[in-house]
Amino acid sequence: MYYIATFFSHFGAIRFKRECQREGMSAQLMPVPRSLSSSCGTCVRFWGPKDYTVKPDPHGEMEQMVRETEEGYEVIFHGE
Amino acid sequence: MKTKRELLTILIAGLVIGIIAAGLVIAGNPENMGFCIACFIRDTAGALGVHRAEAVQYIRPEIIGLILGALILALVRKEYAPRGGSSPMTRFVLGFFVMIGCLMFLGCPFRMILRLAGGDWNAIFGLIGFILGILAGVFFLNRGYSLKRTYQHTRLEGAVMPAIQIVLLVLLVAAPSFIFFTEPGVGPGAKHAAIAISLAAGLIVGALAQRTRLCMVGGIRDAVLFREWKLLCGFVAIFAAALVVNAIVGNFHPGFAGQPVAHTDGLWNLLGMLLVGFGSVLLGGCPLRQLVLTGEGNTDSAVTVLGLFMGAAFAHNFSMASSGEGPTFNGKVGVAVGLAVVLVIAIVNTRKKEN
Repeated sequence: MYYIATFFSHFGAIRFKRECQREGMSAQLMPVPRSLSSSCGTCVRFWGPKDYTVKPDPHGEMEQMVRETEEGYEVIFHGE
Repeated sequence: MKTKRELLTILIAGLVIGIIAAGLVIAGNPENMGFCIACFIRDTAGALGVHRAEAVQYIRPEIIGLILGALILALVRKEYAPRGGSSPMTRFVLGFFVMIGCLMFLGCPFRMILRLAGGDWNAIFGLIGFILGILAGVFFLNRGYSLKRTYQHTRLEGAVMPAIQIVLLVLLVAAPSFIFFTEPGVGPGAKHAAIAISLAAGLIVGALAQRTRLCMVGGIRDAVLFREWKLLCGFVAIFAAALVVNAIVGNFHPGFAGQPVAHTDGLWNLLGMLLVGFGSVLLGGCPLRQLVLTGEGNTDSAVTVLGLFMGAAFAHNFSMASSGEGPTFNGKVGVAVGLAVVLVIAIVNTRKKEN
Protein backbone atom coordinates (compact mmCIF):
# COMPACT_ATOMS: atom_id res chain seq x y z
CA MET A 1 0.00 0.00 0.00
CA TYR A 2 1.08 3.56 -0.58
CA TYR A 3 1.55 5.91 2.36
CA ILE A 4 2.22 9.66 2.42
CA ALA A 5 4.03 11.38 5.28
CA THR A 6 4.10 15.17 5.60
CA PHE A 7 6.60 17.15 7.68
CA PHE A 8 7.10 20.49 9.34
CA SER A 9 10.28 21.01 7.30
CA HIS A 10 11.85 19.92 4.02
CA PHE A 11 14.74 18.45 5.98
CA GLY A 12 12.37 16.21 7.96
CA ALA A 13 11.15 14.77 4.66
CA ILE A 14 14.67 14.16 3.38
CA ARG A 15 15.61 12.35 6.59
CA PHE A 16 12.47 10.18 6.59
CA LYS A 17 12.99 9.19 2.97
CA ARG A 18 16.48 7.98 3.81
CA GLU A 19 15.11 6.01 6.78
CA CYS A 20 12.50 4.35 4.55
CA GLN A 21 15.12 3.38 2.00
CA ARG A 22 17.36 2.04 4.75
CA GLU A 23 14.50 -0.26 5.75
CA GLY A 24 14.14 -1.45 2.15
CA MET A 25 10.98 0.51 1.34
CA SER A 26 10.67 2.33 -1.97
CA ALA A 27 10.21 6.05 -1.20
CA GLN A 28 10.17 9.31 -3.12
CA LEU A 29 10.08 13.01 -2.26
CA MET A 30 7.26 15.02 -3.82
CA PRO A 31 5.20 18.18 -3.20
CA VAL A 32 2.36 17.66 -0.72
CA PRO A 33 -0.79 16.84 -2.77
CA ARG A 34 -3.30 19.70 -2.73
CA SER A 35 -6.08 17.27 -1.86
CA LEU A 36 -4.18 16.41 1.32
CA SER A 37 -3.19 19.85 2.58
CA SER A 38 -3.12 23.54 1.69
CA SER A 39 0.52 23.73 2.78
CA CYS A 40 3.12 23.63 0.04
CA GLY A 41 5.88 21.61 1.63
CA THR A 42 7.60 18.40 0.75
CA CYS A 43 6.18 14.97 1.54
CA VAL A 44 7.40 11.40 1.26
CA ARG A 45 5.32 8.83 -0.63
CA PHE A 46 6.40 5.30 0.11
CA TRP A 47 5.32 1.70 -0.38
CA GLY A 48 4.80 -0.23 2.83
CA PRO A 49 3.01 -3.36 4.08
CA LYS A 50 -0.74 -3.23 4.72
CA ASP A 51 -0.19 -3.47 8.46
CA TYR A 52 2.50 -0.75 8.53
CA THR A 53 2.58 1.00 11.88
CA VAL A 54 4.10 4.41 12.49
CA LYS A 55 7.13 4.39 14.73
CA PRO A 56 7.55 7.25 17.21
CA ASP A 57 9.32 10.11 15.42
CA PRO A 58 12.37 10.90 17.60
CA HIS A 59 12.86 14.20 15.78
CA GLY A 60 9.24 15.37 16.19
CA GLU A 61 9.19 16.61 12.59
CA MET A 62 6.42 14.44 11.16
CA GLU A 63 3.16 16.37 10.77
CA GLN A 64 0.93 13.52 9.64
CA MET A 65 0.87 10.20 7.82
CA VAL A 66 -1.96 8.91 5.66
CA ARG A 67 -2.69 5.65 3.90
CA GLU A 68 -3.90 5.94 0.32
CA THR A 69 -7.23 4.21 -0.20
CA GLU A 70 -9.80 3.98 -3.00
CA GLU A 71 -11.87 6.67 -1.27
CA GLY A 72 -9.01 9.05 -0.55
CA TYR A 73 -6.71 9.31 2.45
CA GLU A 74 -6.98 7.55 5.79
CA VAL A 75 -5.10 9.37 8.55
CA ILE A 76 -2.98 6.94 10.61
CA PHE A 77 -0.87 9.52 12.45
CA HIS A 78 -1.21 13.20 13.31
CA GLY A 79 1.60 15.06 15.07
CA GLU A 80 -0.54 17.67 16.82
CA MET B 1 -7.20 11.89 -12.79
CA LYS B 2 -6.83 13.91 -9.60
CA THR B 3 -3.55 15.32 -10.93
CA LYS B 4 -5.20 16.34 -14.21
CA ARG B 5 -7.98 18.09 -12.35
CA GLU B 6 -5.43 19.94 -10.19
CA LEU B 7 -3.56 21.05 -13.29
CA LEU B 8 -6.77 22.25 -14.94
CA THR B 9 -7.73 24.18 -11.80
CA ILE B 10 -4.34 25.87 -11.70
CA LEU B 11 -4.46 26.76 -15.40
CA ILE B 12 -7.93 28.28 -15.13
CA ALA B 13 -6.95 30.17 -11.96
CA GLY B 14 -3.82 31.45 -13.70
CA LEU B 15 -5.82 32.67 -16.69
CA VAL B 16 -8.36 34.44 -14.46
CA ILE B 17 -5.59 36.06 -12.39
CA GLY B 18 -3.79 37.20 -15.56
CA ILE B 19 -6.97 38.79 -16.91
CA ILE B 20 -7.66 40.50 -13.56
CA ALA B 21 -4.08 41.80 -13.34
CA ALA B 22 -4.17 43.27 -16.85
CA GLY B 23 -7.68 44.57 -16.18
CA LEU B 24 -6.53 46.48 -13.09
CA VAL B 25 -4.19 48.52 -15.30
CA ILE B 26 -7.13 49.41 -17.53
CA ALA B 27 -9.05 50.34 -14.36
CA GLY B 28 -6.33 52.77 -13.25
CA ASN B 29 -3.36 50.95 -11.70
CA PRO B 30 0.16 51.86 -12.95
CA GLU B 31 1.29 50.25 -16.21
CA ASN B 32 2.49 46.64 -15.93
CA MET B 33 1.48 46.84 -12.26
CA GLY B 34 -1.97 45.35 -12.03
CA PHE B 35 -0.49 43.50 -9.12
CA CYS B 36 2.87 43.94 -7.42
CA ILE B 37 3.08 42.66 -3.89
CA ALA B 38 6.34 44.50 -3.17
CA CYS B 39 5.22 47.81 -4.68
CA PHE B 40 1.83 47.67 -2.99
CA ILE B 41 3.27 46.90 0.46
CA ARG B 42 5.73 49.76 -0.15
CA ASP B 43 2.86 52.11 -1.09
CA THR B 44 0.98 51.11 2.06
CA ALA B 45 4.08 51.76 4.19
CA GLY B 46 4.26 55.21 2.59
CA ALA B 47 0.60 55.94 3.26
CA LEU B 48 1.19 55.18 6.95
CA GLY B 49 4.14 57.58 6.94
CA VAL B 50 6.76 54.92 7.64
CA HIS B 51 8.61 56.36 4.65
CA ARG B 52 8.05 59.79 3.10
CA ALA B 53 8.58 59.17 -0.62
CA GLU B 54 5.69 61.29 -1.90
CA ALA B 55 5.41 59.42 -5.20
CA VAL B 56 4.52 56.08 -3.63
CA GLN B 57 1.96 56.53 -0.84
CA TYR B 58 -1.40 54.76 -0.99
CA ILE B 59 -3.07 52.02 1.06
CA ARG B 60 -3.47 49.38 -1.63
CA PRO B 61 -6.74 47.47 -1.28
CA GLU B 62 -5.28 44.61 -3.32
CA ILE B 63 -3.03 43.60 -0.40
CA ILE B 64 -5.96 43.77 2.02
CA GLY B 65 -8.06 41.70 -0.38
CA LEU B 66 -5.37 39.07 -0.92
CA ILE B 67 -5.07 38.34 2.80
CA LEU B 68 -8.81 38.46 3.46
CA GLY B 69 -9.66 36.44 0.33
CA ALA B 70 -7.28 33.70 1.41
CA LEU B 71 -8.68 33.87 4.95
CA ILE B 72 -12.31 33.55 3.82
CA LEU B 73 -11.66 30.58 1.55
CA ALA B 74 -9.48 28.90 4.18
CA LEU B 75 -12.33 29.27 6.69
CA VAL B 76 -14.88 27.92 4.21
CA ARG B 77 -12.68 24.93 3.34
CA LYS B 78 -11.75 24.35 6.99
CA GLU B 79 -8.09 24.97 6.15
CA TYR B 80 -7.60 27.93 8.48
CA ALA B 81 -4.72 26.61 10.58
CA PRO B 82 -2.99 29.14 12.85
CA ARG B 83 0.61 28.13 13.34
CA GLY B 84 4.03 29.69 13.71
CA GLY B 85 7.23 29.74 15.70
CA SER B 86 9.57 28.66 12.93
CA SER B 87 12.45 31.12 13.40
CA PRO B 88 10.26 34.25 13.10
CA MET B 89 13.08 36.78 13.47
CA THR B 90 15.14 35.07 10.77
CA ARG B 91 12.06 35.23 8.55
CA PHE B 92 11.70 38.95 9.33
CA VAL B 93 15.27 39.56 8.16
CA LEU B 94 14.76 37.44 5.03
CA GLY B 95 11.56 39.35 4.26
CA PHE B 96 13.41 42.64 4.75
CA PHE B 97 16.10 41.76 2.21
CA VAL B 98 13.66 40.19 -0.26
CA MET B 99 12.04 43.64 -0.36
CA ILE B 100 15.43 45.31 -0.92
CA GLY B 101 15.91 42.97 -3.91
CA CYS B 102 12.40 43.68 -5.20
CA LEU B 103 12.92 47.44 -5.04
CA MET B 104 16.25 47.12 -6.86
CA PHE B 105 14.39 45.37 -9.71
CA LEU B 106 11.20 47.40 -9.17
CA GLY B 107 8.78 44.55 -8.71
CA CYS B 108 8.07 41.24 -7.05
CA PRO B 109 8.07 37.93 -8.98
CA PHE B 110 4.38 38.50 -9.80
CA ARG B 111 5.11 41.89 -11.37
CA MET B 112 8.12 40.38 -13.14
CA ILE B 113 5.67 38.16 -15.05
CA LEU B 114 3.35 41.11 -15.70
CA ARG B 115 6.28 43.22 -16.93
CA LEU B 116 7.19 40.45 -19.38
CA ALA B 117 3.57 40.28 -20.49
CA GLY B 118 3.71 44.02 -21.16
CA GLY B 119 6.80 43.62 -23.34
CA ASP B 120 9.32 44.92 -20.78
CA TRP B 121 12.35 42.85 -21.73
CA ASN B 122 14.36 44.18 -18.78
CA ALA B 123 12.41 41.64 -16.79
CA ILE B 124 14.22 38.86 -18.69
CA PHE B 125 17.35 39.73 -16.67
CA GLY B 126 15.20 39.66 -13.56
CA LEU B 127 13.86 36.22 -14.48
CA ILE B 128 17.38 34.87 -15.03
CA GLY B 129 18.50 36.20 -11.65
CA PHE B 130 15.33 34.87 -10.01
CA ILE B 131 15.97 31.35 -11.34
CA LEU B 132 19.63 31.50 -10.24
CA GLY B 133 18.52 32.59 -6.76
CA ILE B 134 16.06 29.70 -6.55
CA LEU B 135 18.78 27.26 -7.61
CA ALA B 136 20.99 28.64 -4.82
CA GLY B 137 18.17 28.09 -2.33
CA VAL B 138 17.50 24.56 -3.60
CA PHE B 139 21.21 23.79 -3.16
CA PHE B 140 20.84 24.47 0.56
CA LEU B 141 17.43 22.76 0.84
CA ASN B 142 18.99 19.56 -0.47
CA ARG B 143 21.75 19.81 2.11
CA GLY B 144 19.39 20.03 5.06
CA TYR B 145 18.45 23.73 5.30
CA SER B 146 15.58 24.24 7.71
CA LEU B 147 14.15 27.08 9.84
CA LYS B 148 12.81 24.37 12.17
CA ARG B 149 9.23 23.32 12.68
CA THR B 150 6.09 25.36 13.25
CA TYR B 151 3.71 24.99 16.19
CA GLN B 152 -0.03 25.30 16.51
CA HIS B 153 -1.31 28.71 17.65
CA THR B 154 -4.67 29.92 18.89
CA ARG B 155 -7.24 30.98 16.30
CA LEU B 156 -7.03 34.51 17.68
CA GLU B 157 -3.27 34.71 17.13
CA GLY B 158 -3.68 33.78 13.48
CA ALA B 159 -6.41 36.40 13.07
CA VAL B 160 -4.34 39.40 14.19
CA MET B 161 -2.81 40.24 10.79
CA PRO B 162 -6.14 39.84 8.93
CA ALA B 163 -7.71 42.12 11.57
CA ILE B 164 -5.04 44.73 10.85
CA GLN B 165 -6.13 44.60 7.21
CA ILE B 166 -9.65 45.60 8.27
CA VAL B 167 -8.16 48.58 10.12
CA LEU B 168 -6.19 49.54 7.00
CA LEU B 169 -9.35 49.32 4.92
CA VAL B 170 -11.17 51.63 7.33
CA LEU B 171 -8.25 54.10 7.18
CA LEU B 172 -8.31 53.97 3.37
CA VAL B 173 -12.03 54.66 3.13
CA ALA B 174 -12.10 57.26 5.92
CA ALA B 175 -8.89 58.90 4.63
CA PRO B 176 -8.04 60.86 7.80
CA SER B 177 -5.52 63.67 7.41
CA PHE B 178 -2.67 61.70 9.02
CA ILE B 179 -2.71 59.16 6.18
CA PHE B 180 -0.50 60.14 3.21
CA PHE B 181 -1.83 59.82 -0.34
CA THR B 182 0.25 60.63 -3.40
CA GLU B 183 -1.09 63.71 -5.16
CA PRO B 184 -2.29 63.19 -8.76
CA GLY B 185 0.57 63.36 -11.25
CA VAL B 186 3.30 63.03 -8.59
CA GLY B 187 3.97 59.31 -9.07
CA PRO B 188 2.66 55.76 -9.38
CA GLY B 189 1.05 55.98 -5.93
CA ALA B 190 -1.59 58.26 -7.46
CA LYS B 191 -2.52 55.70 -10.09
CA HIS B 192 -5.04 53.24 -8.79
CA ALA B 193 -8.31 51.60 -9.64
CA ALA B 194 -11.42 52.40 -7.59
CA ILE B 195 -11.26 50.97 -4.07
CA ALA B 196 -14.12 48.50 -4.64
CA ILE B 197 -12.53 47.17 -7.85
CA SER B 198 -9.08 46.79 -6.27
CA LEU B 199 -10.53 45.12 -3.19
CA ALA B 200 -12.64 42.70 -5.22
CA ALA B 201 -9.63 41.85 -7.39
CA GLY B 202 -7.55 41.15 -4.28
CA LEU B 203 -10.27 39.00 -2.73
CA ILE B 204 -10.68 36.90 -5.88
CA VAL B 205 -6.95 36.46 -6.48
CA GLY B 206 -6.35 35.72 -2.79
CA ALA B 207 -9.00 33.00 -2.85
CA LEU B 208 -7.69 31.53 -6.11
CA ALA B 209 -4.11 31.56 -4.83
CA GLN B 210 -5.24 29.84 -1.62
CA ARG B 211 -7.13 27.21 -3.59
CA THR B 212 -4.25 26.48 -5.98
CA ARG B 213 -1.23 27.31 -3.75
CA LEU B 214 0.10 29.51 -6.58
CA CYS B 215 3.67 30.52 -5.85
CA MET B 216 6.25 31.71 -8.34
CA VAL B 217 9.11 30.42 -6.22
CA GLY B 218 7.33 27.15 -5.49
CA GLY B 219 6.71 26.64 -9.22
CA ILE B 220 10.36 26.79 -10.19
CA ARG B 221 11.49 25.02 -6.97
CA ASP B 222 9.13 22.09 -7.57
CA ALA B 223 10.19 21.86 -11.20
CA VAL B 224 13.86 21.66 -10.15
CA LEU B 225 13.38 19.42 -7.09
CA PHE B 226 10.65 17.06 -8.25
CA ARG B 227 10.18 17.65 -12.02
CA GLU B 228 6.69 18.75 -10.99
CA TRP B 229 5.40 21.48 -13.34
CA LYS B 230 1.86 22.16 -12.08
CA LEU B 231 2.57 25.34 -10.09
CA LEU B 232 4.76 26.73 -12.83
CA CYS B 233 1.95 26.17 -15.34
CA GLY B 234 -0.17 28.56 -13.27
CA PHE B 235 2.29 31.37 -13.82
CA VAL B 236 2.63 30.56 -17.51
CA ALA B 237 -1.17 30.92 -17.66
CA ILE B 238 -0.98 34.30 -15.87
CA PHE B 239 1.64 35.45 -18.39
CA ALA B 240 -0.38 34.22 -21.38
CA ALA B 241 -3.64 35.80 -20.23
CA ALA B 242 -2.03 39.15 -19.34
CA LEU B 243 -0.14 39.14 -22.66
CA VAL B 244 -3.33 38.61 -24.68
CA VAL B 245 -5.26 41.30 -22.78
CA ASN B 246 -2.34 43.74 -23.09
CA ALA B 247 -2.11 43.06 -26.83
CA ILE B 248 -5.85 43.60 -27.31
CA VAL B 249 -6.03 46.89 -25.40
CA GLY B 250 -2.72 48.26 -26.71
CA ASN B 251 -0.70 47.87 -23.51
CA PHE B 252 1.97 45.64 -25.07
CA HIS B 253 5.07 47.71 -25.84
CA PRO B 254 8.07 45.44 -26.46
CA GLY B 255 11.54 46.82 -25.76
CA PHE B 256 14.02 47.83 -23.09
CA ALA B 257 13.98 51.63 -22.90
CA GLY B 258 11.11 53.73 -21.64
CA GLN B 259 9.26 50.95 -19.87
CA PRO B 260 6.90 52.03 -17.09
CA VAL B 261 8.33 51.97 -13.54
CA ALA B 262 11.46 50.13 -14.71
CA HIS B 263 15.13 50.75 -15.47
CA THR B 264 17.50 49.25 -17.99
CA ASP B 265 20.44 48.19 -15.80
CA GLY B 266 20.49 44.47 -16.63
CA LEU B 267 23.14 43.46 -14.09
CA TRP B 268 21.30 44.99 -11.13
CA ASN B 269 17.93 43.77 -12.36
CA LEU B 270 19.49 40.31 -12.31
CA LEU B 271 21.16 40.68 -8.92
CA GLY B 272 18.04 42.18 -7.33
CA MET B 273 15.91 39.23 -8.37
CA LEU B 274 18.68 36.78 -7.48
CA LEU B 275 18.34 38.08 -3.92
CA VAL B 276 14.54 37.75 -4.15
CA GLY B 277 14.71 34.16 -5.45
CA PHE B 278 17.33 33.04 -2.92
CA GLY B 279 15.57 34.65 0.04
CA SER B 280 12.12 33.43 -1.02
CA VAL B 281 13.21 29.78 -1.26
CA LEU B 282 14.62 30.04 2.26
CA LEU B 283 11.25 31.50 3.33
CA GLY B 284 9.31 28.76 1.55
CA GLY B 285 7.41 31.03 -0.82
CA CYS B 286 7.28 34.26 -2.82
CA PRO B 287 5.74 37.48 -1.40
CA LEU B 288 2.32 36.57 -2.85
CA ARG B 289 2.43 33.20 -1.11
CA GLN B 290 3.42 34.89 2.16
CA LEU B 291 0.22 36.99 2.01
CA VAL B 292 -1.92 33.92 1.28
CA LEU B 293 -0.33 31.94 4.12
CA THR B 294 -0.92 34.93 6.40
CA GLY B 295 -4.60 34.65 5.51
CA GLU B 296 -4.50 30.96 6.44
CA GLY B 297 -3.30 31.97 9.92
CA ASN B 298 0.43 31.43 9.49
CA THR B 299 2.07 33.93 11.86
CA ASP B 300 5.56 33.22 10.46
CA SER B 301 4.32 34.53 7.12
CA ALA B 302 2.74 37.51 8.89
CA VAL B 303 6.15 38.31 10.41
CA THR B 304 7.67 37.94 6.94
CA VAL B 305 5.15 40.47 5.60
CA LEU B 306 6.23 42.84 8.39
CA GLY B 307 9.82 42.28 7.24
CA LEU B 308 8.80 43.18 3.68
CA PHE B 309 7.03 46.28 5.06
CA MET B 310 10.06 47.40 7.03
CA GLY B 311 12.37 46.65 4.09
CA ALA B 312 10.26 48.95 1.93
CA ALA B 313 10.48 51.73 4.52
CA PHE B 314 14.27 51.40 4.78
CA ALA B 315 14.63 51.22 0.99
CA HIS B 316 12.98 54.61 0.58
CA ASN B 317 14.29 56.28 3.74
CA PHE B 318 17.89 55.39 2.77
CA SER B 319 17.64 55.86 -1.01
CA MET B 320 18.03 52.17 -1.79
CA ALA B 321 14.99 51.88 -4.07
CA SER B 322 15.63 52.18 -7.80
CA SER B 323 13.71 54.53 -10.07
CA GLY B 324 13.24 54.88 -13.80
CA GLU B 325 16.67 56.53 -13.79
CA GLY B 326 18.30 53.31 -12.58
CA PRO B 327 19.63 51.80 -9.37
CA THR B 328 21.23 53.94 -6.67
CA PHE B 329 24.63 53.39 -5.03
CA ASN B 330 22.88 52.75 -1.71
CA GLY B 331 20.63 50.22 -3.41
CA LYS B 332 23.63 48.33 -4.79
CA VAL B 333 25.18 48.24 -1.32
CA GLY B 334 21.85 47.06 0.10
CA VAL B 335 21.59 44.19 -2.40
CA ALA B 336 25.24 43.18 -1.81
CA VAL B 337 24.69 43.17 1.97
CA GLY B 338 21.42 41.31 1.45
CA LEU B 339 23.07 38.58 -0.59
CA ALA B 340 25.75 38.17 2.09
CA VAL B 341 23.17 38.03 4.92
CA VAL B 342 20.94 35.55 3.08
CA LEU B 343 23.96 33.36 2.34
CA VAL B 344 24.97 33.37 6.01
CA ILE B 345 21.38 32.50 7.04
CA ALA B 346 21.42 29.61 4.55
CA ILE B 347 24.74 28.29 5.83
CA VAL B 348 24.05 28.49 9.55
CA ASN B 349 20.62 26.85 9.17
CA THR B 350 21.93 23.96 7.10
CA ARG B 351 22.92 20.73 8.73
CA LYS B 352 24.50 17.86 6.92
CA LYS B 353 22.29 14.90 6.07
CA GLU B 354 22.63 12.23 8.67
CA ASN B 355 23.70 8.83 7.51
